[in-house]
Amino acid sequence: MNTLDIRNLSVRVAGNEILKNFSLTIPKGEVHAIMGPNGTGKSTLAKALAGHEDYEITGGDVLLDGTSILELEPDERSRSGLFMAFQYPSEIPGVSIANFIRAALQARLAEGEELEATKYYKRLYEKMDLLSIDRKFTARSVNEGFSGGEKKRCEILQLAMLEPKYAILDETDSGLDIDALKVVAHGVNTLRSQNMGVLLITHYQRLLNYIVPDRVHVMYDGRIVKSGPKELALELEANGYEWVRDHATATA
Amino acid sequence: MSTTAPTPSFDLNRDIGDFSYPESHKFDAGAGLSERTIDYICDVKGEDDWIRAFRKKALQVFLSKPLPTHWASRDLETINFDKIRYYLSSGQQPKRTWNEVPDDIKQTFERLGIPENERKFLAGVEAQFDSEAAYSNIKEAVGKQGVIFVGSTEGLMKHPEIFRKFFGKVIPTGDNKFSALNSAVFSGGSFIYVPPGVKVKHPLQAYFRINAENFGQFERTLIIADEGSEVTYMEGCTAPKFGTATLHSAVVELVALKGAKIEYITVQNWSANVFNLVTKRAMAEEEAVVKWIDCNIGSRLTMKYPGVVLKGRKARGEVLSIALANDGQHQDTGAKMIHAADETTSNIISKSISIGQGRSSYRGMVHIPKHLSGCKNNTECDALLINTNSRTDTYPAITVRGNRNSVQHEASVSKVSADQIFYMQQRGLSEAEAMSLSVNGFVNDLTRQFPMEYSVELKRLIDLEMEGSVG
Amino acid sequence: MSSTLQAPATGATPASLEAAFARHLEECRQLPDWWLEMKRSAFERYRSLPMPSRKDQSWRFSRLRGLELDRFDFNSTTPAADHAGLIARSNLVSRTAGSMVFSDDRLIHNQPVAAELAAQGVVWEPIADALQQHRELLQEYFMAQDPRLGSEKFAALHTAFVNAGCLLYIPKGVEVELPFIAYHWASVAGGTVLPHTLVIAEESARLTLVDAFFAADRSAPHFACGFNHIFAGDNAEVQYYSLQDWSRRAVGFQINSLVTGRDARIKSLGINTGCSHFRGEHQSLLQGAGSHVDMFSLSVASGEQEMDQRTLQRHLAPNATSDLLFKNALSDASRTIFSGLIEVAEAAQQTDAYQTNRNLLLSPEAEANSLPGLEIHANDVKCSHGATTGQIDESEMFYMLSRGIPLNKARELLVFGFFEEVIGNIDEDEMADNVRALIERKFHEDASAQ
Repeated sequence: MNTLDIRNLSVRVAGNEILKNFSLTIPKGEVHAIMGPNGTGKSTLAKALAGHEDYEITGGDVLLDGTSILELEPDERSRSGLFMAFQYPSEIPGVSIANFIRAALQARLAEGEELEATKYYKRLYEKMDLLSIDRKFTARSVNEGFSGGEKKRCEILQLAMLEPKYAILDETDSGLDIDALKVVAHGVNTLRSQNMGVLLITHYQRLLNYIVPDRVHVMYDGRIVKSGPKELALELEANGYEWVRDHATATA
Repeated sequence: MSTTAPTPSFDLNRDIGDFSYPESHKFDAGAGLSERTIDYICDVKGEDDWIRAFRKKALQVFLSKPLPTHWASRDLETINFDKIRYYLSSGQQPKRTWNEVPDDIKQTFERLGIPENERKFLAGVEAQFDSEAAYSNIKEAVGKQGVIFVGSTEGLMKHPEIFRKFFGKVIPTGDNKFSALNSAVFSGGSFIYVPPGVKVKHPLQAYFRINAENFGQFERTLIIADEGSEVTYMEGCTAPKFGTATLHSAVVELVALKGAKIEYITVQNWSANVFNLVTKRAMAEEEAVVKWIDCNIGSRLTMKYPGVVLKGRKARGEVLSIALANDGQHQDTGAKMIHAADETTSNIISKSISIGQGRSSYRGMVHIPKHLSGCKNNTECDALLINTNSRTDTYPAITVRGNRNSVQHEASVSKVSADQIFYMQQRGLSEAEAMSLSVNGFVNDLTRQFPMEYSVELKRLIDLEMEGSVG
Repeated sequence: MSSTLQAPATGATPASLEAAFARHLEECRQLPDWWLEMKRSAFERYRSLPMPSRKDQSWRFSRLRGLELDRFDFNSTTPAADHAGLIARSNLVSRTAGSMVFSDDRLIHNQPVAAELAAQGVVWEPIADALQQHRELLQEYFMAQDPRLGSEKFAALHTAFVNAGCLLYIPKGVEVELPFIAYHWASVAGGTVLPHTLVIAEESARLTLVDAFFAADRSAPHFACGFNHIFAGDNAEVQYYSLQDWSRRAVGFQINSLVTGRDARIKSLGINTGCSHFRGEHQSLLQGAGSHVDMFSLSVASGEQEMDQRTLQRHLAPNATSDLLFKNALSDASRTIFSGLIEVAEAAQQTDAYQTNRNLLLSPEAEANSLPGLEIHANDVKCSHGATTGQIDESEMFYMLSRGIPLNKARELLVFGFFEEVIGNIDEDEMADNVRALIERKFHEDASAQ
């Protein structure tokens, strides 16, 4: 039961079938990486799991610890323990990071319960220290005017504060220079635990030098075409995505 | 499994403003407006002849002026001036201490959710229940500093040497039809004088309420800050709902003498049947600073354009305003900056939110004549539209002449993006909470400049208005 | 202010104007009946409409001077001896697809389109000729857009007296590279000109047209009341340039109306240097989804000139975009008024509309008025406006001086830099250079007049 279980999921976007009978199981405590060429449906998977309304589920199911989440609104999915780090996080002018995370935590409490401010800030600062994030950060509006690296760090901070059961990191490495990538990877590694399953979505093998996955899956044309241990990423890097394409057409 | 998102809880709800108490008015001028109405008001209040003459002249001006519908909303034509009662009073004398305040009025404050600690503030407050000040107490410390804080009639009668000089001078009777109306029938409001160099630490506050059907409020406020003094005044209003339209038409004049600072804060939350047609203007002498903070949440139609006449060198004027227009509401607000001396500066920041079929309009006037130099104005107007049928307009008018003067005006219209809402939902916030957070974020850089209790109240009011606008 | 208009409410049209209209009808009696009938009812409308007053929102800040129309001769004619000189001076662009020269509303020169374009169905004709052969086009499009910015009465006047102008019709899919150009000269002192330009671009057609408004004597008074209407069909692309250099004592109106079909693109760019009182109205109707309009204007005002410009970007269809940049440079005791409105209808979701007004005050006596407006009825829009008024940036000035550039030259460079943001949008290099020369001439004239 301690799994995020994606079963034969098919997803349509603007009338086109992007995910086709996609299946994957992520147990708690493990980090799985999905790699694949652009346009193969990786980000569609992330958005569909998070419940974006533009992504129409045409078949299959997604079970979070044994319970289907497909009927839930995006916020209900979040509160049930699913976190997504966005490839392009939205800017929210005028709303500070501290207030934003506080509102998100408050939404997880039962009616009538109040988040205790001092405890909240203590914990926030702890996590920031853990992730080597400057405390001045909290007063800034969410993602507004952030550099690419700052946006991604802000995503990881939210991940740390919300403590989800499963986290999907959608192309968290894209657009980052090597220093920023190290900071983000350090954050994810710090947060790895037996209580959380992680799905890393990436186009580049580079990220996996810093976050070593338990399993690697290769995605092509809306489904997983090959799975293996972490060495698969290196194999893929050596052979290029054409190798996947050939492999996929051979097995199709 | 439930799919309904939890609704956010609010400390305040719409119904709280929707109540009234039994009316018992000792003095009632009856419906309609004529010289007899004015005689009645003057007699009841025992006013001097010059005030009677002032009122009667104003009545003629009011009658002679057309409604400004060639530029303003035609909704004004639905006001029936003959049905309005222009003066009502319980006949009570202004109160001095909290203990002397009638219980039912205390109850009103309680139901409005004014917190316990804020009632201590009321020690320095002019609270208006109907048209006569029901409660008035000059805080001991303020009185010791020589500050005069009285009602309009008392101010004109007991301190004519101070107030008569500026009364009706910043806003002449004939400024517009509604300033003329107020000049004819004004009652209540606050007259404040702050002596030279005195800095009033605590904000002076006034709570206004309308509590009678077809009954208009015509407060008159005049604040004079003498050289080098500082004062903050807060005005907040809530009103019960009634079936027929109610008219509120105040005149507020501020005089900031050399080096003085005045901050005037309003949170307007009249019920949705009130016409709120207010004239507010300040005069700023050399190096004086006047700041209007104006929040308009309620009313059916608000027309209000706080202004500053920058009369002395290096004077500064500011208007910070927030308007929220929901279904059936039109917030027609803005600002006027009249530069009349060198090196004067002005700043206008206006944010409006239109929800449902609400309409918000900004009208502005910035005037810099030719003999001046080194003047600056900066204006920013941002409008947020929530629903597809929400509406916003912006109508500024800027005239610049002279030497080394510069003016900048920027306006933008936007909506809360679907991506933004999805992002917040992914963090576990309901759609309504996400919307509320976005909207509060939109006004945040302005509300940050407000006193704490007002920004908290404002946030509650915005949350309240946002309810039901999504999903 | 002896010349300030004492506007009669209605009906009191000066006797001289009544007589002039009778003479005008007599002069064009050979034209078709429907045309004359239209003129009669337009004159009737002119009589019945009130003169604008400053109390009208659309005339706020206008001085409304010089509108005593009985001062002007509505039947003026240029002596034939002057024609050759005016034709020679009509040299803004050397290579054109077609050009016409009018003086005091009479055609004095016509360069028709090449046979090849004519064979493709391109129509380039004086309106008087088009009345016979292209009656349907004129009946459908002539003055088909009502003025929305205040000049209803002058639209009626224009229709009543119109005689000069051109019809340009580009059929579906035809693309014309070279520009068309119409020169309108005001030649006789105290005369009147009422230029008309009608452009119809069918689906996917492409064209460029220039209107040039010049005065033979730049110090003689005259009255001008021009209208141009541009209809860009689906996916059509139109560039429209107008250069207003009427005399310094002229009273001029120029009403510019643009209408877009689906995915159509129109660029309209106007330069104003002439007139003692100039009123420009520019209205864009974005009625085709995905269409785009650019509106540029540069007014260079000096002496006691008043340049009064009103604009409207009216978005009726979704996904359309519009961008407006109006710049004014003011010297001496000149005045400018910019009043702009972006109007977004409920159906026009995903509108992207911008409006910018920049005023450069070059003298403490000059007065810039700015009324940038928005009326938004749709929520999924991006709209903004900005207006700035100021002097030459002192730090830029200092920078130039510190490089050894003399004060006058530095000032001129900075001012021309200010103009360039508009002039740079003229795609015809030759015309852009001529515009620069024209403005430079005005600048130097003003300088030597002091």
